[in-house]
Amino acid sequence: MTAGKHGYRTGLVDMKAGQISREIFVNEEIYREELERLFARAWLFVGHESQIPKPGDFFVSGMGEESVILCRDRAGKVHVFLNSCRHRGMKVCRYDEGSTPVFTCPYHGWSYGTDGKLVGVPYFREAYHEKLDKSQWGLVEVPQLCLYKGTVWASWDPSAPPFLEYLGDFVRYLDLTLDGWDGSEGGTEILGGIQKWLIPCNWKFPAENFCGDSYHNISHRSVDLVGIGPSGSGRRDLQERLMARRLHVAFYDRGHQTGVYLFPNDQPMPPSYQHSPVVSEYFAHCEEERRKKRGEWARVIGSPGEIFPNTALHPRQPRTIAVWHPRGPHQTEVWRWYMVDSAAPPEVKDFLRDYYIRYSGPAGMTEQDDMENWNYAHAASRGTIARRHPYSYEQGLGFETERYEWQGLHIPGTVMDITEAKSSEHNLRNLYRRWAEFMEAESWDDLATWRVARAAE
Amino acid sequence: MSEPINIRLLGPGARIVLDDGAIAEIVSNPLDGVWVFARYLSSPADPARVGSEEMIFAQDIIEIQ
Repeated sequence: MTAGKHGYRTGLVDMKAGQISREIFVNEEIYREELERLFARAWLFVGHESQIPKPGDFFVSGMGEESVILCRDRAGKVHVFLNSCRHRGMKVCRYDEGSTPVFTCPYHGWSYGTDGKLVGVPYFREAYHEKLDKSQWGLVEVPQLCLYKGTVWASWDPSAPPFLEYLGDFVRYLDLTLDGWDGSEGGTEILGGIQKWLIPCNWKFPAENFCGDSYHNISHRSVDLVGIGPSGSGRRDLQERLMARRLHVAFYDRGHQTGVYLFPNDQPMPPSYQHSPVVSEYFAHCEEERRKKRGEWARVIGSPGEIFPNTALHPRQPRTIAVWHPRGPHQTEVWRWYMVDSAAPPEVKDFLRDYYIRYSGPAGMTEQDDMENWNYAHAASRGTIARRHPYSYEQGLGFETERYEWQGLHIPGTVMDITEAKSSEHNLRNLYRRWAEFMEAESWDDLATWRVARAAE
Repeated sequence: MSEPINIRLLGPGARIVLDDGAIAEIVSNPLDGVWVFARYLSSPADPARVGSEEMIFAQDIIEIQ
């Protein structure tokens, strides 16, 4: 089946019916178009400043299928470059991370400074007769870069809106992952290394899962029975479910979405991390401080979410950011960063590291459940017959609330209250709604619809 | 052809002879096996280079002094 440039919103992704064709997960041509229309235009998560603290430090990351170098130049400025020599395309950096004064291509020896400038060309005098204009042959740099509370984001599209405009009010939900647990601005760092592994499924399987797919909790029942949680039961401290409103929040014009728990007024936070008195006390103290600093907004507790298209947020237990790198229609390379308060005592960081990897990553018990589902769902959707039958995304269709408010607190975004309903596919639909818009839009003029709405006001 | 030189072993202060007869002193070594940063001490082919610092390509180095 060929989708062409059109038909994404009217056929393959049918939001009215709540149905989505399996083709968008398994079709090679659609995948190729995604690389151009999504990954070359959207803002993508590249890394964290704490990974490159000193001049010369670098971390090799990815944007879409392409390898990029996140580095800090000699003057301390942060850059993101395409990891490909301008001469014949060889990777100029084949290490995962490190520190260097130059990136030297091992093929013919062209060498670049950490500011991307071409500084070394073998036989420049003899073979090039000093005629090569080195200033035109520096590393390809992303046209847009944004540093936000330690995180580094980039877009290949010079016409994309600035990152904070791209987020809109969703920035408040991103902050739930990036601010300190005590409510202080930023203050988080990366804990340990980055976990990287391959899953044989399309990148959208994990992406939709992390939008807030609460329906698949049955998959994790075995983990809940084992009790890997930080208080010795379940997989997380989930007592908040008993008192909070449980919400799915979607930003229709941006494509970002998340789950949140909304606490009632004046309700103390249930105790957490009870396996360790030190950790438990640390979080109790942080919660007290957070309420002082954040006021009413402290009632909002984060839950899994997704920044369009492929950055997943897991703000609380565990606190992580994941990127679903596309590696062909049938494979995803997951990179998972673990976050912790920079100022947390070593005992807290140690405890969290153990808990995090028990939960997430290739050996994490919860993530293993997910991977098994994505792997087999993808494989069982590739066949000729299977492709003829769409997936259902009808759950809760038509039950969204535009201006949601509870006990005096307005929640930005379009909300589905699932406290009684238990589940919805509201956030998943939002991911694909935006996906279809990106696939059809010719430019950011068509995608930045909020600008049109603002101009009309 | 002379034996290839492992330029990764050259530290600051080492003196090298280049294929055009120039002599230079290593200033720093990024250890990439391809380039070193060096200051020209002599340069019969282009005396103006003396005192200047340049990246020297490994294949141009023919001898360690």
